[in-house]
Amino acid sequence: MRPIGFSTGAVAYSHFQAALDLLAQTDATAVELSALRPAELKPLAEAAPTLQLDRYSHVSVHLPSSFNPDFEEEILSLAAQFPAQWLLVTHPDVIRKWDLWRRLGERICIENMDKRKPVGQSRRDLLAIFRQLPDATLCFDIGHAHQVDPTMGEAILILEEFTGRLRELHISEVNSESKHDLISLEAERSFEVVAQLIPKNVPVILESRVAAPDEQLSDIVFKRIEREIRVVRSLLNASVQVAAD
Amino acid sequence: MVAKESRPVFQLSASLGCQWKNIERAHEQTVTAEADLLALLQRDVGDKFASEDANLVVFGSLGRGEWIDWLSDLDWTLLVDGQCKPGHFQIAQDIRDALKTVYQTTANGNKEYRFAAPGPTGTFGNMGFSHQLIHLIGGQEDTNKNMTQRILLLLESLPVSAVNAHERVLKSIIQRYLEEEPHLIKSGQIRYKVPRFLLNDIVRFWRTMAVDFASKQRDRGGDGWGLRNAKLRMSRKLIFVSGLLTCFSCNLEEKLQAKISTDERDIKTARSKNLAHLQDHILQYVRQTPLDIVAIAVKEYGINAAIAEKLFSAYDEFLGLVGDPEKRARLKSLRAEASRTDPIFSEVRAFSGRFSEALDEMFFSNGQLGPLTRKYGVF
Repeated sequence: MRPIGFSTGAVAYSHFQAALDLLAQTDATAVELSALRPAELKPLAEAAPTLQLDRYSHVSVHLPSSFNPDFEEEILSLAAQFPAQWLLVTHPDVIRKWDLWRRLGERICIENMDKRKPVGQSRRDLLAIFRQLPDATLCFDIGHAHQVDPTMGEAILILEEFTGRLRELHISEVNSESKHDLISLEAERSFEVVAQLIPKNVPVILESRVAAPDEQLSDIVFKRIEREIRVVRSLLNASVQVAAD
Repeated sequence: MVAKESRPVFQLSASLGCQWKNIERAHEQTVTAEADLLALLQRDVGDKFASEDANLVVFGSLGRGEWIDWLSDLDWTLLVDGQCKPGHFQIAQDIRDALKTVYQTTANGNKEYRFAAPGPTGTFGNMGFSHQLIHLIGGQEDTNKNMTQRILLLLESLPVSAVNAHERVLKSIIQRYLEEEPHLIKSGQIRYKVPRFLLNDIVRFWRTMAVDFASKQRDRGGDGWGLRNAKLRMSRKLIFVSGLLTCFSCNLEEKLQAKISTDERDIKTARSKNLAHLQDHILQYVRQTPLDIVAIAVKEYGINAAIAEKLFSAYDEFLGLVGDPEKRARLKSLRAEASRTDPIFSEVRAFSGRFSEALDEMFFSNGQLGPLTRKYGVF
């Protein structure tokens, strides 16, 4: 059974514990601990040994998406403190000292980028990145790929090329302002195009922003989480169309 | 514009031992003009005049890598693919104003602009929107202007600065052509078909240009006949040729055929994969200039060296003539009725005749291109 869950940042902005408390009430089986802002990483690293995460068969940490290059070594030092089986999801444009990142091997899980970022959007971009980080793995963000190329042609090329590196899938709708939205019908149809190219065991992390930054984590938010998980399960479990049909 | 060493046309000239000095000069002037244009816009309009959703795209001689400084017009569009914002109009206006700041004054006091405004049809020199380019292919609402912008975007466009919107729109247009094809693969073979929808639109564009040539003659009372005629015989024909070759390459290029998925367990995904590879193939092709696409064909299909030399030498002569200010001016003022006795137009007739002969040889006598030309290009 494919693990499916949420990013804590999408559930409760900057409050990983509040997000984990809510997610514990759902049937999520995967979680990504979000530390997108540099200041969030240290508290998360310190709390990591005490977090109740037994219910999740897949856990990852999203490292900061932007930071002063002077802090690169400090970020990596904090990242290394997380349990070794947790993936470290990383935006490739933050990497300056490639040799330091290379030491973390396959734990470094490179995410393909949205259209705001200067690198990491296409198959060709990713080929260049994996030449620098030969052991690194891939976190494929369908929403980013859809935003960069709504035809999903690039998404197919990426998935074909890097199936062997694929360790995590991000799903959400990324709107024209590069914000993560709830999944729309148009996004659903685009995701269907690539669904069969994703191995059955690759965990899915939803990034749909189910709560506004200051919104109470109420029953409405809980229902949004359940709805998004249901939509994704249905998309990824769609049957294939065989020639004999 | 890519470096000279990377361009197939110069790799071909080296392998044939030829020197096409006017093509070389055009390349060098294109590189300089592109850099100067970018610097000018960054200075006068702002560092971020282009964005992820709105790119400045140039067409015509600058798009083809055939720029002739102070003589070529600058065909441009602020291509918008994203939220429609009132500010885009002002950016287009600012670009237009910036382009007017670089000029020289002639002896008779007239201003000559380095980045001269495009022709009066309104096809270029303003904003362009992705929606109609992608959604209105064929049918009543696909206007002459829309079709021209779309095909030229495919066959001779160059993004200046940001590339995001340009690339997204190219991919979407290509996808639109391909998804209308009921079958991408030839029946009983592991080989892509020639994409007929795209090919037919390229043929339509070529014929429309030829028809519009007559229409413009009427509208403009014969003004500019000579130069337009020379362009129709050479640069406009070259665009058509590069479009044909792009379509034929889908069927002929062996590296592409090797990527075909024949997975019958999931035909929907197999089609998506095949479409993605074909889309990428066409995208990589149309990123090249028309001259480079022809040079690739010469190498790929083993076109006879003498034919290749004849073709490119004729084109080199064309660029030499339209790059000569006096000859260009004379050609521009030449009217149809004087063309048979005009010595400059005799030159045009001579090199365009050789260009046409070489194309006939290439497209009808070559073992790979010949059958496709007869099947898809004639009936």
